[in-house]
Amino acid sequence: MKLRVAGIGVLAVLAWLLPYQLDSYLIHVANVVILFAILAIGLGLVMGIAGQINLAQVALFGVASYATAILTTRAGFGFWTAAALAMLIVAAIGLLIGTPALRMQSHYLGIVTLGLALALTNWVTNAHIAGGAEGITGIPAPTLPGIDLRNDYFFYYLELVVFALALAFGLFVVRTPLGRKMRAMRDDSLAAGAVGVEVPQLRMTAFFLASLYGGVAGVLYAGLIRYVAPETFSIANMFLLLAMVIIGGRQSLVGCVVGAVALSLLREVLVDYPTYAQVAYGTIVVLTVVFAPTGLAGLPVRARGLLQRLGWLRRDTGAPPKLGDFRPYDAVERPAEQVILRIDDVSMHFRGLKALQEVTMEISTGEIRGIVGPNGSGKTTLFNVVSGLYRPTSGRVWLGEQDMTAARPHTLARAGIARTFQNLRLFPLLTVRENLLVALDQTSVLGSWRYALWQPGVWRQDRALRRQADELLDRFGLTAFADAAPGELPYGTQRRVEIARAMARSPRLLLLDEPAAGLNGEEVRQLSEIVRSIRAAGVTVVLIEHNMGLVMSLCERVTVFASGRVIADGTPAEVARAPQVVEAYLGDSAMSSDVPVATATEAA
Amino acid sequence: MQVFLQTFIGGMSLGAIYALVALGFSLVFRTMGLVNFSHGNVVMIGAYLASTFYLSTKLPFALAMALAIGGTGLIGVIIERVLRPLENKDFDLMLIGTIGFGIVLEAVAIIIWGATGNAVPNPVPTGPLEVLGLRIRTYDLVVLAIAAAAAVLLVFFLQSTKRGAAMQAVAMDHEAATAVGIHVGRSNAIAFMLGAGLAALAGGLVGPLLYVNPTMGGALGIKGFAAAILGGFGSIPGAIVGGFAIGVLDAFTAGHFQGYSELVTFLVFTVIIMIRPTGIFGERTVNRA
Repeated sequence: MKLRVAGIGVLAVLAWLLPYQLDSYLIHVANVVILFAILAIGLGLVMGIAGQINLAQVALFGVASYATAILTTRAGFGFWTAAALAMLIVAAIGLLIGTPALRMQSHYLGIVTLGLALALTNWVTNAHIAGGAEGITGIPAPTLPGIDLRNDYFFYYLELVVFALALAFGLFVVRTPLGRKMRAMRDDSLAAGAVGVEVPQLRMTAFFLASLYGGVAGVLYAGLIRYVAPETFSIANMFLLLAMVIIGGRQSLVGCVVGAVALSLLREVLVDYPTYAQVAYGTIVVLTVVFAPTGLAGLPVRARGLLQRLGWLRRDTGAPPKLGDFRPYDAVERPAEQVILRIDDVSMHFRGLKALQEVTMEISTGEIRGIVGPNGSGKTTLFNVVSGLYRPTSGRVWLGEQDMTAARPHTLARAGIARTFQNLRLFPLLTVRENLLVALDQTSVLGSWRYALWQPGVWRQDRALRRQADELLDRFGLTAFADAAPGELPYGTQRRVEIARAMARSPRLLLLDEPAAGLNGEEVRQLSEIVRSIRAAGVTVVLIEHNMGLVMSLCERVTVFASGRVIADGTPAEVARAPQVVEAYLGDSAMSSDVPVATATEAA
Repeated sequence: MQVFLQTFIGGMSLGAIYALVALGFSLVFRTMGLVNFSHGNVVMIGAYLASTFYLSTKLPFALAMALAIGGTGLIGVIIERVLRPLENKDFDLMLIGTIGFGIVLEAVAIIIWGATGNAVPNPVPTGPLEVLGLRIRTYDLVVLAIAAAAAVLLVFFLQSTKRGAAMQAVAMDHEAATAVGIHVGRSNAIAFMLGAGLAALAGGLVGPLLYVNPTMGGALGIKGFAAAILGGFGSIPGAIVGGFAIGVLDAFTAGHFQGYSELVTFLVFTVIIMIRPTGIFGERTVNRA
């Protein structure tokens, strides 16, 4: 920690003294490098942290510079007034460009943002007000009392301060609830929704943040160069910026900055051979994605791993951390029995496949309900309908008295439904503690205004969340694994982390999808203890399970599914004797003897 | 009405080119779930190769085209081989890797052929046909015929040959395909090669229609990609319909909005894709939890 503070101090002093070493050309280069660094932080936030591919970052930069240019030269505003208005415009355009992210992701989003970027470039090259292909000259220099910002050396200090603030704010976002939710959404947007992260709003917030960074860089660019032209905001520069972020390491903002500086310097060294520079950075991008996907920022970790493999660096060979005991919840008095979840005539069709057909069932408060059935009988589909991942083809789902049929996953999570997934969906790049922190955070994305106006409040909230997370880790015996990545843990421990994450939201209804799959006997026993304690704490539990021993011992009622229908419902003992259940599981001898007869008739 | 039909016909030949570009995108996408962002640059390289062979060595246009297809096919194989470690792992990274290749290809084209472009003379120098008062350039008909032939051959390959069937299998489930003994890497390499070959075909054909220059790949690639998405990504008929749709849309916006045609084209595209992200023939993909 002390080392880090000292390092930052040294860097700050060096950055402060840098202009004394530079001639008037190099200081100009330095000024442009800083602008790219600010842009790269913005792109790192939206792409590396929030996982939204945004190929319009340079276009946003262009929007802000053009807005500043037009407002100062055509409308006669002062520089700072124009800059403030330009920020509003760029934020609006950023939200507009982000809108497609609500409907599509990954490469679709890439092409749409790229298309919109081209549309913007097309507009400025043609519009009379934007000066056409010649651009706009004569933007007035920004003024600050006592400092002449027409001088590149003074402008450097303005940029340096803005850059430091921009980086600090970016890092603050990444390490506090907002950024954590974004990283969770990047790792697994489905699971993020299921723990209550408002994915749509968060995607828009990511684009909003990116547009702010683009806007700041654009305004500064207009003030620095005092001339704007379309080619500065071309697709080629967008790809250059992308290369900076990838080479630096998109998931680390500091990496993005390093990438921006490194590539800018490379470009400067090869300034007389721009085409060869292009070959060079294109090649580095390809090599980076294949051999070092985490970029320069990931190199220290990789180097460490390599040294350990070669035996030059000793591995820490302490005893492997052990899974602690589960500390039961305080039991509450069992609430009066009422229906908490009512599934009313729900059907779910995927084209021809009828995954659920007219399913009706009721689950009462305080129950542990088992759902069993052969593979492909619609059990997980039912969970997906209840937790809002699928919208049923017909029928209604009621949570208490509320109709929740068309609700989004995060709305349902906030209404008190929590779930786990059959194939485990932990956020792989977050630590175990962070996995829980994402779920513990009950604030809405709209509350993020505090990031702009009241950062200490955010900080305090984060501290409170961390205390709750430690308490939860301790309850589930996971303290020893708090800072591990979920992928490094034994399978059974990962299952327990997922249950802890689901319980972090203090749900009313907990849906467990095959919680015992892959667990050994002792782990199954612990699981049943955990589930009982969760129920005793007043939470209704529904579990899908193939482990019949567990279902029989744990559940008061069992619902049996086959081919998308409920075929039996009752106590474990009743259900086990029901002929239709036996038939679904083992086949019916009378029916199987029908088959050859049918073929015989056909042959005749 | 006359003007409408004339614009419509004008959009058809570029539409056929977009359809070929979109077919290349779709072929690679359906086989390996990857969007090849360098595809537009491969089209550009194909255009340069074809025009170079055609102009400087005086080869017949068809032969020049065949050589260009071979050359870009090789590029396709190289791209696939380099990015193979990422296949079926991280698609966003692969996508960025292909952008890297695109950057390199564009720079290489500038190094070889220079930053300024060159015009390619029409290989079918006969006058336009007059049908019902509409003027149709003969070269446009050639483009349409070749594009149609390529599409038919592609469908035949995918549906009636063993290799094609293997590629379909990889597209559906690469793990199951491996389990029955299909070499997934090789199958992907073939998809990439075919995609690049289609790109060269599009590039060679578009040479006489547009000006061949190092940055032509950008616009062609993005519009071809838009065509593929509009039709339904990964769908062969979708790519063809999408290509013609973008071509015709382009022709109309160019007629009505002149300089702003690109702006309008992309805004219309964005709105359509917002309303129907799966495109015209696209299948709805279901999140599996």
